[in-house]
Amino acid sequence: MINGRSSRVGPLQDRISLLWMAIYLCGAGLGARLVHLQVVQRAEYALAAERNRTQIIYQAAPRGRFYDRDGVVLATNEPAFSLIYLPPKGSTAQGLASLAEEIAKHLDADRKGLQEKLQQAMREETAVRLAENLPTRAMFRLSELKTLYPGIDLVVEARRRYPFGRFASHLLGYMGRMDQHSWGQFKARGYRIDSRIGKMGLERVFEFELRGKDGGIVMEVDAQGRLKGILERIPWQPGSNIHLTLDAAVQKAADEGLRSSLTGRGAAAALDPRTGAILAMSSAPDFDPNDFLSSDPDLVKRTAAELPEFNRAIAGAYAPGSAFKVVVGAAGLNEGRFTTSDAVYCPGHTEIGGRVFLCWEAKGHRTMTWFPGLTNSCDVYFYRMGLRTGGALIERYAGMFGLGAKTNVALKWEKKGNLFGPRAKGARAWYDGDTANLAIGQGELLVTPMQMAVLAAAMASRGVVWRPHFTSRIEYTGGRPEYKQMPEQVGTVALKESTWRDLHEAMRLVVSSGTGRTAIIPGLEVYGKTGTSQNPGKDHAWFVSFAARPGEVPSVAVAVLVENGEHGGSAAGPIARSMMMAAFGMADPQAKASPLPAGMEVPHNLRAEPPARLATRRP
Amino acid sequence: MLGASTKGRVDWALVLAASGLIVTGTIAVLSASSHIPGYHGVLQRHFLALAFGIVLFLFGFGFKYQIFQDQSRIIYALVLAVMVGVLFAGTVRRGHRSWFEFSLISFQPMEFARIGVILTLASFLDRRGRRITELSTVGAALALVGAVMVLILIQPDFASALTFFPVLIAMLFCAGASMEHLAVLVGYGAVAIAFPLAYVLCQVHFPDAGPGTLARMVMETGRLGWTTAAVLMGIAAAVAAVWWVAVMMRVRPRSGYFIAGAAILIAGLLSGIMVNRQLKGYQRNRFVAFLAPETDIQGASYNVHQSVIAIGSGGLWGKGLFSGTQSRLGFLPERHTDFVYAVIGEEMGFVGALGVLALYLTMIWRLIETARLSRDRYGSLVAGGLASMFALHLALNAGMCLGVVPVAGIPLPLVSYGGSSLAVTMWALGIANNIYSHRYSFL
Repeated sequence: MINGRSSRVGPLQDRISLLWMAIYLCGAGLGARLVHLQVVQRAEYALAAERNRTQIIYQAAPRGRFYDRDGVVLATNEPAFSLIYLPPKGSTAQGLASLAEEIAKHLDADRKGLQEKLQQAMREETAVRLAENLPTRAMFRLSELKTLYPGIDLVVEARRRYPFGRFASHLLGYMGRMDQHSWGQFKARGYRIDSRIGKMGLERVFEFELRGKDGGIVMEVDAQGRLKGILERIPWQPGSNIHLTLDAAVQKAADEGLRSSLTGRGAAAALDPRTGAILAMSSAPDFDPNDFLSSDPDLVKRTAAELPEFNRAIAGAYAPGSAFKVVVGAAGLNEGRFTTSDAVYCPGHTEIGGRVFLCWEAKGHRTMTWFPGLTNSCDVYFYRMGLRTGGALIERYAGMFGLGAKTNVALKWEKKGNLFGPRAKGARAWYDGDTANLAIGQGELLVTPMQMAVLAAAMASRGVVWRPHFTSRIEYTGGRPEYKQMPEQVGTVALKESTWRDLHEAMRLVVSSGTGRTAIIPGLEVYGKTGTSQNPGKDHAWFVSFAARPGEVPSVAVAVLVENGEHGGSAAGPIARSMMMAAFGMADPQAKASPLPAGMEVPHNLRAEPPARLATRRP
Repeated sequence: MLGASTKGRVDWALVLAASGLIVTGTIAVLSASSHIPGYHGVLQRHFLALAFGIVLFLFGFGFKYQIFQDQSRIIYALVLAVMVGVLFAGTVRRGHRSWFEFSLISFQPMEFARIGVILTLASFLDRRGRRITELSTVGAALALVGAVMVLILIQPDFASALTFFPVLIAMLFCAGASMEHLAVLVGYGAVAIAFPLAYVLCQVHFPDAGPGTLARMVMETGRLGWTTAAVLMGIAAAVAAVWWVAVMMRVRPRSGYFIAGAAILIAGLLSGIMVNRQLKGYQRNRFVAFLAPETDIQGASYNVHQSVIAIGSGGLWGKGLFSGTQSRLGFLPERHTDFVYAVIGEEMGFVGALGVLALYLTMIWRLIETARLSRDRYGSLVAGGLASMFALHLALNAGMCLGVVPVAGIPLPLVSYGGSSLAVTMWALGIANNIYSHRYSFL
């Protein structure tokens, strides 16, 4: 039939109909494909088209600031310029190589690394940050490259800045790049691979509070990657500001005192005995956290390599030495094992359990009672009184003062030290010699400077053991109500009123006329106890003290340790003294916290709020 | 025009459909080319061609169409002349020596050849009407079209040359050629196209197939060596074996079938090998992009990928004229010429793209009706040839934009930017309308 009939002149109607049917089916197929693309998969392709034409350059939001208790800015932000690259379509490996060479020349950076970054950007079609925190000079030269190489651009971002530089560095911490592990952890929280995170100290503890929401510039780019216009600017949202209990002046005194101490190694902590608030926490050697954010890659590398990560204030455990004698006194006097008038003759040595124990004063102290015994830190007196009190009792009192347990300050890597005594020793035999050693803070007893500060605060507050805290309040952005830190008491040392009087009087005498005379501050009542703890090298120097205005309750308690500083009075005492003076706002030219350095005006566009009040001293 | 009824003289459906396509195409070209340098030049040439096209439409419509049959020898001579001339005097654009350039205008003679060949072939087939089922008729028709195809292949414009072949088959089909002959032609064409596809497929998926595997054999065959000879011998032997078995089983098949079968396979394979060897790198990449689009998004399949994104992202109502991001920002290549359908899909959405498809099918339907109603065989064949040509261009161009057909630089007549194509196509529509208007007249 296909070959056959035709109703008209000319070709065959059936064949023409068949041809039309075939064409119609093709048309229907195209229509079906249109439905598939434009109706069914519409959203998917709309997204693909949107991804094609937009490039987002993220701008790191200003991080929340740290303030001290008087509103002094301890960490803030400043604008920094970053060099970014938006890979244009159709860029060649050769073009990238010459671009990498050009940029490397201006930045003094590694050409190969740059080229790898550029190639990665091209492969993944994403913008990359080639360099951050450009120095002004390099910036001008690089901005000329923008006209030569499409895709190169400069953006402004917020960069962390620590106005005091080398200041409270172990406490504040520093900012650094994410490693593979933290990237896996932070990815879900909106972090990007090139985000910086707090790597240590409070920057790390309060990472999520401090971090703001990054802003960005959503740009329309054409197929060649050329910027066609800005579609949207997503404003950044600054992070939450954190007000610390820190006193910048006290911190400064501690930092500088330790840095210029005999060995430059040590730690200090200062608490407010009325609240447990930390006024200062310092560990030396320290570092300048700004160096991690430098535009000089060598400096960053060097800083990271030499980073003194060890925070001696909470992670360093040392024998307390004679500073522990106040605990022996508290135990023995309170339990009535001896009285203030019980006398011991010190010939410079004594024999206990067949072994000779020496006094630090080889000549001997002659007849000693409680007050001169502590004032002169007579070892023979404390060997004897320790034996009367007994190891178990001393151990119990040391525990009551918080020794041998973490203070639970909110920082990582805190050590709990080692509380030593018959109970800790357990089944093994405890000898009188052990008690004698314990009574002068030697042996296996180990404490951290922070624990000693808690002990000093407990002495000052007549028995309140605090959990030390850094924060006073957190101003959340985005409407969340402010967080206020409350004092947290974790223990009480309940002593008789007479015991406190005897302890305080003896500690006052230590400073006014004994081993701690380096800490005398005119106009203040200063109480203290020196310590010299023996160890394989030179002795460590301790000074534990607290101070009050006459007629008021003590408002600052300090513990200072100088590694291998030999004598507590001479090495640690002056540091404690300048810290206490700073706490009372006393003029001490060497230990004065400086405000923002000259010319260090906080840039306007980084001000998330009215400029912070500069330091105002309390009366 | 004797006795012609004034009623129904103009096929308004055809004219309206074509006008709708031209208007839509003009808007799309205006939008798509607005961001390329030389925008004004593009517009000037487009409207000039449009005006010229109206004149040509009237030219095609004004005379009695039999004049084109009477002058078919001259038309064919003209076609051959311009196609030979362009090989000597033409300028090279996009790798093809296919343009005549004069100081003011330039012209692509192949567009004229498209219509000229249809007119000539219709005339030839009409004259051979009584001997249409003879092999010599088919052979002569093949030679007639083949000469032009060869001239285009020399340019070399592979894709455009190929488009003549399906039109030839469709016209032979309409003219009533025997199904056996058509089967031979279709079979030959299919084998010739299938071999390069198979070759590319093997190359992509089994680049290092060992000796003895089928893929390795396909690739060896493509090299025109001993393997090729062995394969051809094998085909001949296999056909002979089947024949022998059939004879043994007393089926008594017609020997002609087997000779034709072997001839198709061998000739097709040889043509396929030649085609494969002639393929340029970018053409091979288009095959790769179509057969294995996931292999290289940035390279060969980039264009189609972007086109599919453009159409898909248009959604139901489109992004609005002049607002298509894919075309405006240059992600869509060749956006006012080959990929203009993607621009329509992006900016006018499903409604616009389906509208263009519907208008096109309407136009083809009117041409088919013209073929049916034509008072003579020549007019019917011309209309049928035009219908199949438009259908082929629609399938190849829209199919390419939609990612269902390999990329071939085939424009969408009346819609894509291209002055020669627009003007000549309007001339062809004039002729078709002429045929329609004379459907009741008897000389």
